[in-house]
Amino acid sequence: MISVDVLGPLLPAVPFACALVGLLLPLRARRPAAVLAVGGAAVALLIGIALALRFRQPFGTSVELVDFGGLPVTFGVRVDWAAVYVALAVGVVALAVQAYSVSYLADDDRYVPYAAQVSLFTAAMLLVVVSGDLIVLLVGWEVMGICSYLLIGHDRTLPEAPGAAVKAFLVTRVGDVGFLLGIALLGIEAGSFRIADVLGAIATGDLSGVVVTTAGLLLLAGVAGKSAQFPLHTWLPDAMAGPTPISALIHAATMVAAGIYVVTRLMPVFAGTPLTVLGVMAAITMLLGALAATAQDDIKRVLAWSTVSQLAYMAGALAVGAVAPALFHLLTHAAFKALLFLGAGSVIHAVGSNLMSRMGGLRRGMPVTFWSMTIGLGALMGLPPLAGFWSKDAILASTEGHLLYASGLATVVVTAWYATRLWLRTFFGAPRSDAAAHPHEAPPLMSVPVALLAVPSALLGFAAFRSGFGDRLVMPLPAEWVGEYSGTAAGGPAVVREAVELVHVGPALAWPLLCLAAGSLGAWLVWRRDRAADPARVLGPVRPVFANAFYLDAVQDALVVRPALGFARAVRRADESIVDGAVEGTGRGTLSLGGVLAAAHRSGLPRAATAVLAGALLIGLAAAALGGLA
Amino acid sequence: MIDHVALLPAYLAAGTAILVFLADILVGRRGAVLSCGALGALATAAVAAWLGTRADRSTFCVDGAGCSYVVDDTAALLAVLFALLTLGVLAFSAGVLREGELPSGEYCFLLACSMTGGVVLAHAGDLITLIVALETLTLPLYVLVGLRRRVLESAEGAVTFFIVSVVATAVTLLGAALLYAATGAVHFDRLAAALDAAPGGGPTGRLIAASVVLVIAGLAFKVAAVPFHAWAPAAYDGAPVPVAAYLSTASKLGGVVAILYVTVDALQPRLDVAGPALAVLALLTMTVGNLVALRQRRMVRLLAWSSVAQAGYILAPLGAFTVASGRADIGLAVTATVAYTVFYVLMELAAFGAVVALRPADADGGEIADYRGAARRSPWIAGAFVLALVGLAGLPPGLAGLFAKVAIVRSLLGGGAGWLAVAVALNAVIGLAYYVRVAAQLFAPAPAAETRARVHWAAAAALAVATVVAVVIGFAPQLVLDVAAS
Amino acid sequence: MMLVALLAVPALGAVLVALLPARLDRPARALGTVVAAAAFAVSVALGLDRGPLLPAAGQALTPWQQYKVSWVPGLNLDFHLGVDGISYPLVVLTTLLTLLCCVYSMWTVPGDGARGRLLVALLLVIEVGILGTFLALDLVLFFVFFEVVLLPMYAVIAGWGGEDRRRAARKFVLYTLFGSVLLLVGVFVVVSAAGTADLVTLSATGGGGMARATQLAAFILFAVAFAVKSPLWPLHTWLPDAHTEAPTVGSVILAGVLLKMGTYGLIRVAIGVAPEGAVAVAPVLGVLAVAAILVGSLVCLAQSELKRLIAYSSVGHMGFVLLGIATLSTVGLQAALIGNIAHGIITGLLFFLAGAIKDRTHTGLLAELGGLRETAPGLAGVLGFAAIASLGLPGLAGFWGEAFAVVASLQRGGTLWTVLGVLAAVGGALTAAYFMRLLRRVTHGPAAPAVATTAAPRLSTYELVSWAPLVVLALAVGLLPALVLGLSADPVTALLAEVSP
Repeated sequence: MISVDVLGPLLPAVPFACALVGLLLPLRARRPAAVLAVGGAAVALLIGIALALRFRQPFGTSVELVDFGGLPVTFGVRVDWAAVYVALAVGVVALAVQAYSVSYLADDDRYVPYAAQVSLFTAAMLLVVVSGDLIVLLVGWEVMGICSYLLIGHDRTLPEAPGAAVKAFLVTRVGDVGFLLGIALLGIEAGSFRIADVLGAIATGDLSGVVVTTAGLLLLAGVAGKSAQFPLHTWLPDAMAGPTPISALIHAATMVAAGIYVVTRLMPVFAGTPLTVLGVMAAITMLLGALAATAQDDIKRVLAWSTVSQLAYMAGALAVGAVAPALFHLLTHAAFKALLFLGAGSVIHAVGSNLMSRMGGLRRGMPVTFWSMTIGLGALMGLPPLAGFWSKDAILASTEGHLLYASGLATVVVTAWYATRLWLRTFFGAPRSDAAAHPHEAPPLMSVPVALLAVPSALLGFAAFRSGFGDRLVMPLPAEWVGEYSGTAAGGPAVVREAVELVHVGPALAWPLLCLAAGSLGAWLVWRRDRAADPARVLGPVRPVFANAFYLDAVQDALVVRPALGFARAVRRADESIVDGAVEGTGRGTLSLGGVLAAAHRSGLPRAATAVLAGALLIGLAAAALGGLA
Repeated sequence: MIDHVALLPAYLAAGTAILVFLADILVGRRGAVLSCGALGALATAAVAAWLGTRADRSTFCVDGAGCSYVVDDTAALLAVLFALLTLGVLAFSAGVLREGELPSGEYCFLLACSMTGGVVLAHAGDLITLIVALETLTLPLYVLVGLRRRVLESAEGAVTFFIVSVVATAVTLLGAALLYAATGAVHFDRLAAALDAAPGGGPTGRLIAASVVLVIAGLAFKVAAVPFHAWAPAAYDGAPVPVAAYLSTASKLGGVVAILYVTVDALQPRLDVAGPALAVLALLTMTVGNLVALRQRRMVRLLAWSSVAQAGYILAPLGAFTVASGRADIGLAVTATVAYTVFYVLMELAAFGAVVALRPADADGGEIADYRGAARRSPWIAGAFVLALVGLAGLPPGLAGLFAKVAIVRSLLGGGAGWLAVAVALNAVIGLAYYVRVAAQLFAPAPAAETRARVHWAAAAALAVATVVAVVIGFAPQLVLDVAAS
Repeated sequence: MMLVALLAVPALGAVLVALLPARLDRPARALGTVVAAAAFAVSVALGLDRGPLLPAAGQALTPWQQYKVSWVPGLNLDFHLGVDGISYPLVVLTTLLTLLCCVYSMWTVPGDGARGRLLVALLLVIEVGILGTFLALDLVLFFVFFEVVLLPMYAVIAGWGGEDRRRAARKFVLYTLFGSVLLLVGVFVVVSAAGTADLVTLSATGGGGMARATQLAAFILFAVAFAVKSPLWPLHTWLPDAHTEAPTVGSVILAGVLLKMGTYGLIRVAIGVAPEGAVAVAPVLGVLAVAAILVGSLVCLAQSELKRLIAYSSVGHMGFVLLGIATLSTVGLQAALIGNIAHGIITGLLFFLAGAIKDRTHTGLLAELGGLRETAPGLAGVLGFAAIASLGLPGLAGFWGEAFAVVASLQRGGTLWTVLGVLAAVGGALTAAYFMRLLRRVTHGPAAPAVATTAAPRLSTYELVSWAPLVVLALAVGLLPALVLGLSADPVTALLAEVSP
């Protein structure tokens, strides 16, 4: 049996190898590619399970990758319970997505690179999860970015796909400028990029508060980009241009989860101002996302905006220092959001359109999808006893007495409203298109993963009752580490941590439940007055505002994109006309000077002779004068 | 008591002239005349070289006043150079003479006379000998330049050359006379001593200063330095190409030798006066030469202007030395100058040889455009041409030229004249602009299938030798540097 | 001895290839390729026996092997060659790229293939020049080899280039000659001040005890000379023209290794010989480097021609390298070295691809391209890879140089360097932006007419053969940067021991 020290590095290594091989396969090699992809994901999941089974204590390993003169970069893993759980979530979602894709992209001639890219995506996320070195973490972080770019741009029939892909990459990349600078700052000040050393330096106070705060704020930019927090959230809805399984992958377990996860991993760095900033962003993003979701007609966009606001819940929890609830919600969200997207994929597959205005009454035609998605939506709005309920409640409980609590509750209302709307518009009422009239259940390769994902979506919440589960989600104390981190790890004082309680049964539970009821009842009432019409009509004048997400795209375009391009054009003109102009000018000038001189030399014999004579005499006289002075 | 052994090279050179003359009268066949000239030149070179290997000698000595005719390593080297250059030019001329356009007898006779002048110049030990020798070197050239019958440019060039030359000689003589008036000496070492003793200021000082400058100015004419350069392009372009080659090599070498001897041996004490003038002269010369060369359309004119610019490089170290006189040792400057001159003369000869070889025997240098596609027609000659041009530009693969430039810059910075070094460097860039233009023309696709001109074997051989030597000393420049340093 | 062989093999090979008659054109090219392969083998073998890995005490420059004979004492010129951890990666890169270009030229030569052997011969001559520059341990010799490259490259551009080749070639040769004549002046400023041209001696004594003013003058001359070659904004404008007009192999060599002569010279000669000057001028250098990064990427963002865009991207990337050098810190120099190599690999590949695209579609205008992945998925795939590598994606070769140039600049501390570091990082984002724009224009969307009618959609054998090594290297160096930096750590530390910023 392999030791955990090996299992850790294997986690990202296996899917990475599959990706490399897959990228080299010819386009027609569908079957090998599929085997490779699904097999890779399965093996990764198995490794994750093995790791979980054999996991006793947090551990870390590292080997030096390269030394930039006093600044070593190491490749190493840093595995605690949180890492294991997130790795498992990634493994499950990745496997589901890979299996689902096989039949979802059955008639796509570029499935082969697609599958390989999904494997690479998985590998990158797993690298972020286990990495013990900030630079290596950055590697996974950015590789995810490029994978999202490649996969969002995959669909060649959608004209907007390339644009959305570029947008996704660039918006996150802008955030990553801060991320890189933050990492650089930490590495320089701590003299090492190893997370353990950095945290140790903070604990022992080797890093000045200013440095840590600055680094935290810089890192926050990257986090906001990846986890789609205001104002860097604009890429996520557009990312819907990607194939639906990709949306599931990005929204559930990889890309967007990475931001939240990294914050939990580097919590001490963010202490203070950064967390406050994060809280503000979260409060805004929560409502913004939820409200934007209310007015969408595209089923995937509804889910996309719901992701934005759900991530804001996690960010909010982190803002008040509640790591465990955040990770808890991250896990449950991974389950039900993957379920929702894959389910939506089945629906789209059946109806042939993303628009809910062309759906309706699908529950008879596709029962599996219907029941699975019902569970998923229930979990999304926090319906007890589904997973989402417990995790969301844990977050709300932790934010009590905080501005975030208010916006959290408000968001519950809105979430319930749009979730119900989606549920009713899609599965109830009369079909609003021929395809919707006689839908067909998705093929097993698609419906089975959806059904299976329903299990965690429903039951994962009960993990909260398992004693110690909460404790496992927070960062282990220095003393708890084994391997080379033991002792050195976070050299701070070995304080004893009070147990983390995730379940809060009590009167406080009433509030979220009331909000939930209000929201979904409201949606239901509006809907049943006219079952054919969109409940969003009650939004009235603000509907377009929500539909366009408060026109933030336009703002971004006007404030950033267009000025940048204009500036670029100006710089190009300047470079060509001024800098190069000077060079060319020198050349031309020399030539024309030569011309002038040449003309001066085209003179008749007499003048030449006299010129020479005169020249000689002049020089002579001059010299005579000089000689006198000498 | 006259040392005839020391005079042997001069005798042989003069003898060559007479022999050629007789051969023309008695035999009257071109081949005979040419071979006489060639053999004479060879013999002169051989003997001069042999003398060079022996101990220094001198003759025509005035007791206590030094000698008018000195044989040392430098003299030997230069004498050999003069002879070999003449030989090369004779070889180039073979083709032209075969056309019967030019009278072989006179042609060879005049060349031989000019060579005699050069040989004597190389050994000159006093101002008078120097000037007379220089005139002997130049006079035949007036005729040679104008030798092409029924060609207006030829005559015009010749006349310009003649008039301006006369003016310049007058200036030199005036300077020499004034010097004599001020110091009563003509021998170099005596002059040096006298100038050292003479008062710096006052009327004598003025007189000396003026005369020094006049001498140098007059000599500057021979190297076609600004402002005495205007004659060169016209004369070069008017003359038969081989004569142009001779003008730009042997005649220029004569000028350099004269300036070198005068400045280093005689006027050294007073160069603080002439120094700045010389430096500025060098700067102007290279700049003007290069700039005007940029706009030339005719091949020979372009080469003429480029050789003006090269004269600037040659003079630069002397100027630098004199500017920084005292700081640097003159050896560095002299070595650099002589070395550069040798490299330059060689590559210039090769370049003109290539021109001769690429053109029809009876034609002149022609337009640069006429050389389009020469590389396709006769790759070897074009290759040699490019090598020579690149060498003149001072870039690899023309290693000889590269090291020549390196030597100059080195001596300049050694002499503490950084600004002049930078000027030389920048001029090298301007220079490359037109050299590369010519080279590109050679390799451009030919407009029409032209028949390649027949090349006389002698010319081809001379070109080959010149190129090979250029390549060899390109890889072993130390040979030249050693000789130049002695 | 192997050092001499490394220069002699391609030199003799070039002569041989050039002398073969026209009817043996193809065999001649094959012969050239064999020679290039031999040179590559020698360069690899060179790395196998390293003498002292750790620099001798107080020795800023400790070659593994050296070869020294007096050549022209009259000009302080010794034929002194040597290789160490700083130069070795560049040497291998040079021989490798030359080999790949020869392989490429075995199949395709621009224009009428009749003179292909001359092209190959010129490539070999250029190789000699570049290798000589990297190996020279004598200032004057360094200069000589530095100049050797000029005219062959001119010939390559002017002989096999595009429409406007003559102008571009002339601009290239004159501009770069301007640089190298200043180098000549600088060299002899040093030689006449220090009395020796031996790099080992000079860098051992931190400038041979030259006065500060002299060092300053020397360094400025060197810096300008190498800035032209690298190129450093605002002395870069010869590059776009040269790249755009040069034939594919020309661009590859130009971007792949020729530019490296500048950055290498800056490290080995300028810093090594005039450390005090370096310290004084470093801030200026840093500012210009960052200007290069920003201007380069902004121009790319508004660029409309494929090869021109890649050329300007070189300006940006070399900006990162120069920023690393300007910090005069171990981290910075290490970053610069690996940045050099990475840029050589990736931009070489990019120019191969640009050439392939232009050969197929007969246009380089982004407006006329598009939808390449529809008609030529293979080509589009490699292009995507190269672009992603070039925008500095972590895990690929380009990342280390750029990220750690930023790190070095932040590490240097102080307002100036911090600002420079931040701006450089922003430049990194811009780099991503324009490469994304490039990919979107070229590969995505429906196939443009020029692309739809492309001649050979599939990648041909020779393309695969000549590109695969670069792809592999881009990945390998990205995953294992120690491949490049393992050797250079100690020499860099030793070099900087003389510098005290």
